[in-house]
Amino acid sequence: MPTVELTNIRKTFGPVIAVEDVSFNVEKGEIFGLLGPNGAGKTTSIRVLLDIFKPEHGHVAVLGGPMTEAKKDQIGYMPEDRGLYQDIELERCLVYLGSLKNMEPAEARRRMGEYLERFDLAAHKHKKVKELSKGMQQKAQIIATILHQPELLIIDEPFSGLDPVNTQMVKDLLLELRGRGVTILMSTHQMNQVEELCDRIVLINRGKDVLYGTLDEVRRPFTGNAVLVRSTAGDLPAIPGVALVEGHNAARRLTLQPGVTPQDVLKALVAQNVSVEQFEIAAPTLDEIFIQVVQSSEPSTEASQ
Amino acid sequence: MIKFWRVAWHEYTRHVLRKRFLLALLSVPLIIGLMIGMVFFVVSLEMSDEPVGYVDASGLLTDPLPPPEVQAPERQISMQPYESAEAAEAALQAGEVQAYFVLPADYLQTGKAQVFYEGKLRESVTGQFFDFLSVNLLRSQPDEVAARLVQGTLVVVRATESGREASDDSWFNVLLPFFAGIIFIIAMSTSSGYLTQAVVEEKENRTMEIVVTSVSPMQLMGGKIIGDIAIGLTQLIIWGIFVVLGILVGSRYVTWLQGVSLPGSMILLAVVVLIPAFVMFSALTAALGATVTEGREAQQVVGIFTMIVWAPYFFIAVLMEHTNSPLALALSFFPLTAPLTLIMRAGFSDIPTWQVALTSIILVLSAIGSLWLAGRAFRLGMLRYGQRLRLAELFRRGG
Repeated sequence: MPTVELTNIRKTFGPVIAVEDVSFNVEKGEIFGLLGPNGAGKTTSIRVLLDIFKPEHGHVAVLGGPMTEAKKDQIGYMPEDRGLYQDIELERCLVYLGSLKNMEPAEARRRMGEYLERFDLAAHKHKKVKELSKGMQQKAQIIATILHQPELLIIDEPFSGLDPVNTQMVKDLLLELRGRGVTILMSTHQMNQVEELCDRIVLINRGKDVLYGTLDEVRRPFTGNAVLVRSTAGDLPAIPGVALVEGHNAARRLTLQPGVTPQDVLKALVAQNVSVEQFEIAAPTLDEIFIQVVQSSEPSTEASQ
Repeated sequence: MIKFWRVAWHEYTRHVLRKRFLLALLSVPLIIGLMIGMVFFVVSLEMSDEPVGYVDASGLLTDPLPPPEVQAPERQISMQPYESAEAAEAALQAGEVQAYFVLPADYLQTGKAQVFYEGKLRESVTGQFFDFLSVNLLRSQPDEVAARLVQGTLVVVRATESGREASDDSWFNVLLPFFAGIIFIIAMSTSSGYLTQAVVEEKENRTMEIVVTSVSPMQLMGGKIIGDIAIGLTQLIIWGIFVVLGILVGSRYVTWLQGVSLPGSMILLAVVVLIPAFVMFSALTAALGATVTEGREAQQVVGIFTMIVWAPYFFIAVLMEHTNSPLALALSFFPLTAPLTLIMRAGFSDIPTWQVALTSIILVLSAIGSLWLAGRAFRLGMLRYGQRLRLAELFRRGG
């Protein structure tokens, strides 16, 4: 049973269609990436999932059924718009937010202490939140999200505002949580983080889900139309079926004509007695896929799912 | 349910422990103390203990009894006899006395005396001189008769229905409801101001989204309102302690404070009218906080509400003269003006029980309606950061 199930969600605000038709499942214990350009409907989808907004159409199931007050205690949510009480001490703020997740204040204080140590914030716990730097507030926000040991973690842009050291710290934390069986739904623009962390992704564009699956499943349709070749000879002879040859570090990137397979190119290279040092199917980065999909679904060339 | 109390406790402590709240708390008794001090100061400027002279041709003040003692802030004026009008006039010119009286030989027949002064004749001068004269005129009478005559008349107005009384000695009891009303409204509007601010702040600093994914809108709103009411009650109790202390201490020096009492019916009225009014007002301001996007805007609208609540003071003359006029009834049954109107009318007359009951029912229903509205406003308006929630949206079905 998936931890989160969104089926054909539609949500509008007056004349604005925020989400037109989005479906995806998040399986237990995975890190799931929710991707999409700004304004695609990611945050609205998350808010529908959290029952902050009621969808006009579609079905939502969280932790095995509709959202309830009791389930709120099993969910940790870090919204895109970060928010902590600014005018009170960090410790008081975190303990209060933990207590709203049904934690006993003493327990919240104990666990908070551990996390503050881990995130180098212990010395600042008596400072007012507004006196902390942006990065510190970001870390405090992460603590507030995981303090009550949720089963499901929903985080919007977990790495924004963090330096490389803290980024690594958060990454390790997410992997550790996944190791403990926590389901993580993460929305981000940082494709390298997605490639490193996510088991599966969904790409939302213009209120619709346009790509969905494991990273390999998502990449597959976009791979195979280019190969990387490095030969000892340096320059390559003309090879039939190759549309374009570009430099790619020490190798050459060969873009293939439609209908031509990498196998055909390899055969041609061998036939021409080229000494091949490296032959690799050029996998597009998620960044490239993202841009390609988003651009190809501009209004004039509306892409079908 | 525990989350509800956690929200309430958090709301309560985060405001009550702030310096700003403590300042507001202490400022009211300070201001009242300062005002009383100013009154005493101004009155004492009016008073002078310079002696007053008298020329007695009637023989009534030969070997006189001393003048009766006066109470603060009035100052005791000593009475200085002179042999002749010329001697008294010379003393007046020399500034030795502030005024002098001349009692003619036929004073007992005519009751007429003359007073000479320069500049201004202070009321205390005539008052104290005539008290002095009265004491001496009555010296042949038995003590209790003399004392009774000096005391003068005391008219007590008694309501036939309830036996409530008002007299010169207890006029402060009539004013007490006014002060209570003012203090209550100040407490209600300041604490509701904190509430609106807290709600708007939660929207502004984006904590709202985290909070509503932890508690239900009803728990959040209910907790905040309870916290707010607790803040208001804290203010009222502390101010009440100051007032009681003030009356206890003051009544040792000031006679008109001695007759002060707060009848049980007044306390009952406060419970059935003021508490639902407080809930209603808090819920309305919470709803308001959820619909607007900026603290400044919220304060303006709370200001308008507060003005309506204060409005009965503008009609004080009408309410005093015609406590059962259609205007008085209308103001009593309109939820926002009801609390103050009822308290004021209770000061002047007895309010029929059915009216109190009706007002109480109206206020309880308004409070429930406001809570519902606040819950809805939270649900619809909590995540609108740039855009205001329109009133029509609140009442639309669904959403």
